[in-house]
Amino acid sequence: MTRIPYWNISYGILIDLFALVAVIVFARGAYGHWLRIRQGKVRVRKAVDLPGKIGPVFVYALVTKGILGAKLYKKIFTGVAHGFLFWGMLVLGVGTTLVVLNVLFGLPVFQGGFNRWFMSFFLDLAGFAALIGLLFFLIRRWLPPERLVTPKARIGFSVQIGILMAVIITGFLVEGIRIAATGPDPYAFVGNFMAAWLPGSALAAHRILWWGHGLLCMLFIAYIPYSPMMHILLVPTNTALADPMPGSKMGVMDFSSFDDEDAEEMPTLGCTRLVDFTRKRLLDYASCLWCGRCHEVCPAASTEKPLSPKGVMVTLAERLTNGQVEDENLIDDITEEALFACTTCTACMEACPACINQPKTILKFRQNLVMEQSRIPELMGKAMTSLEQRAHPFFGTGSGPKEWCKDLDVPIFAKGETEYLLWIGCSVTYEERAQKIARAMVRILDRAGVSYGILEESRCTGDPAKQMGNEFMFSELAQTNIEEFDDLGVEKIITLCPHCYNSFTRHYPPMGGNYTVIPHAVFIDQLIAGGKIVPRSGGQSIVYHDPCYLGRRNRIFDAPRNVIGRLGRLVEMPRHGAESFCCGGGGGNYWAEEVGTRINQVRSKEALDTGAERIATACPFCLLMITDGTKKFTEEPKAFDIAELVAEGLE
Amino acid sequence: MHIAVLAKVVPDYEVPSADFELTDSRAHSRYTRMIGLYDENAIETGVQLKEACKAKLTIISYGKTEDISVLRKAIAMGGDALHLVMGDSDDPFVIAENLKMAIDGLGDVDLVLAGQQSADMDRGVVHSILAGMLGWQFLPQISRIQSEGDLWMVAQAHENGTRNLQFSGKGVLSITSIPENVPRIPVVRAIFAAKKKPVEKIEGIPGTPMNAKEVSVEIPKMESVCEFLPIEDMAETATTLLSKLREERYL
Ligand code: SF4
Ligand code: SF4
Repeated sequence: MTRIPYWNISYGILIDLFALVAVIVFARGAYGHWLRIRQGKVRVRKAVDLPGKIGPVFVYALVTKGILGAKLYKKIFTGVAHGFLFWGMLVLGVGTTLVVLNVLFGLPVFQGGFNRWFMSFFLDLAGFAALIGLLFFLIRRWLPPERLVTPKARIGFSVQIGILMAVIITGFLVEGIRIAATGPDPYAFVGNFMAAWLPGSALAAHRILWWGHGLLCMLFIAYIPYSPMMHILLVPTNTALADPMPGSKMGVMDFSSFDDEDAEEMPTLGCTRLVDFTRKRLLDYASCLWCGRCHEVCPAASTEKPLSPKGVMVTLAERLTNGQVEDENLIDDITEEALFACTTCTACMEACPACINQPKTILKFRQNLVMEQSRIPELMGKAMTSLEQRAHPFFGTGSGPKEWCKDLDVPIFAKGETEYLLWIGCSVTYEERAQKIARAMVRILDRAGVSYGILEESRCTGDPAKQMGNEFMFSELAQTNIEEFDDLGVEKIITLCPHCYNSFTRHYPPMGGNYTVIPHAVFIDQLIAGGKIVPRSGGQSIVYHDPCYLGRRNRIFDAPRNVIGRLGRLVEMPRHGAESFCCGGGGGNYWAEEVGTRINQVRSKEALDTGAERIATACPFCLLMITDGTKKFTEEPKAFDIAELVAEGLE
Repeated sequence: MHIAVLAKVVPDYEVPSADFELTDSRAHSRYTRMIGLYDENAIETGVQLKEACKAKLTIISYGKTEDISVLRKAIAMGGDALHLVMGDSDDPFVIAENLKMAIDGLGDVDLVLAGQQSADMDRGVVHSILAGMLGWQFLPQISRIQSEGDLWMVAQAHENGTRNLQFSGKGVLSITSIPENVPRIPVVRAIFAAKKKPVEKIEGIPGTPMNAKEVSVEIPKMESVCEFLPIEDMAETATTLLSKLREERYL
């Protein structure tokens, strides 16, 4: 029998009036979100040229991450449950709309195969899937994992889950009574099942349930913007507007107005109140799901440091909701210790299903602390002072700038003659252990017959200053380097440190420094692939630690692994690639007095637990941190840079 | 109240000994130049006092025009004015006389702060000579200063503790380093403001040098001696290490 819309219901069309009210309440709430977000600064950003980008919208990211929720599936159970709920509800929404169109315009949706397969079978399947998803989330709210409740759990989800469950259950009951009264609908498998248990004579109950179902639906819709369920709009929007380039994009600052005698007002550096942030950042805070995935992967949070990226987001989200956008106490509430505990590893960004840029917020606060308030932990402050005085942060070093290359005949870059600048960087120049990386690289380049040279004076790229929040110092160092590169006509640079690579490729171009930059791991891989060097395989097992600035931030995962594959057997740690765990040295934390468990010891233990004979890495900071970390567990030197392993294989 | 802080520009005090070279018996000119280590603690102490007492803070240096760009950091840290007495003597009496001239020129200075080291190979005598010339009291190794009415309450750091002192009138204090006077990182707007502040250049005077002549300067050769301590018993190893370090006068 053809299904009759509004069967057993009088004035069913009235539900559309309620729907109108619900939509108005919804729109009012959504507008409230916009009013709050609008208090941020308008983002001034040059358009990133990416295929498929329309205006500010990154269409690919919107579809994959915002709509398909690709990142959610990294946690498979949550991902599937979320998929069931989201797609189930979407299909049910489409079904309801079709019913309305049938009533208003006679759209023939209750006929033939479409009725059987979509309106009966598929809608039942969607409702069933959504119910399973809801059950999963309800149970998880009762028995939450640590990440959901630390440092704070979000209330309000359970109410909406409850309403939705009631909507679906009442829907099935209505369908069951209808089928019991009008005869079986072979494709509506849930409805038929319910009909077996329900009396077809319960017409009054049917009417009450029908109205209950409809009104609960409207209540759900109207309540969305006033509940965490608003994420169904906010998250896709945030995803669509988030630059999909990996890692935190800090841009560079223009300090010219500070030098301009006629400038009316000097801009505030960094952020101290919510209104100092851009609208995009405020959208970040509004979109945060409080899911704690960032907290779970954060090396600082997982080693008892006072930082939780989720905690930072939650604090800001609450202030935003409460309208405390001018609150000056934000930094003190989050605490300076927490803000400086961030290693800028961007594991949080990688894990965040809402595409939120947590490190950017943290760094904006740091910029304000350092550049406006002169507040910085003592050791970091010393490193920064050293950068200002000596153009490198390694205060108290026992090494001179030429020590790494004593007894070596290293060519100086000659204008118009040398092809590659071998950029040594500060850690390799001044830290005894890291100096061996440069010595190894020189052997490799000499063996391969590469035309390369170094600078006469070594200097830092400025990355530590930038990551500690001193953008001004970064820009001064970067400008000096760019001027020297221009004078020398440098076009191609080989870096030994991923922090230098990251600076040269991301932060130097907007300042006028455009070069072809190759991390040493990639260059070595190319030399091996081109047959320029043929390292001998030692047959040993080697576990590779992905440096955050090479892997997660710049997506260079394969080249170092190819190299290791030529030297021995590559072993992987449980956390590797984009999910790698930080060594603890980034963001200036190389100069930190760590509280709690030391991050480098956690990572070193993880590497040693694989049973591999050696630990390889491709970053001098990682090498120093892991060399130090392994000392807690073994006296044997275990950590090496891949350049050292390759050079050893050439002997 | 007017506080003057003495700041000098010295070669990088962290040049590793293996890398250290002399030209004309002085540190090679290639080394980065910076404000003296303890002088920055003195500046920080001065800035804190200025903030607490609503005082005026003048930075005084003896050196060359090239030093100005380095000394601007002292202004960026919170100094109100920079006075540079031009000269290149390294005789402590000559330097003290020149500094005295600058202080007399200011007329109303109540307190002079200086880093506990001098540029005279760290003997730290310039401040005491200066105090003698000014006829003011001299208190070395001061870690904390507080103004209470007409009195100055100061803490003097010793190897084995702290001595609290009080005095009235004017004084020259040499400042030591403590966590509370770690030099601040100048904030960006202060750096830019410091660039624009005029510097008072004062022509130096020849002064009366010591009756001594430099015959030669020698830098010791770097030598490393390694000794492995048995580590069966960590407590015993630590005790042995400590006693050895004391024996060698490292502690
Ligand atoms: S960038 Fe790394 S250390 Fe910083 S908050 Fe994110 S996960 Fe934690
Ligand atoms: S920032 Fe992202 S990962 Fe962290 S709690 Fe919010 S939504 Fe979850």
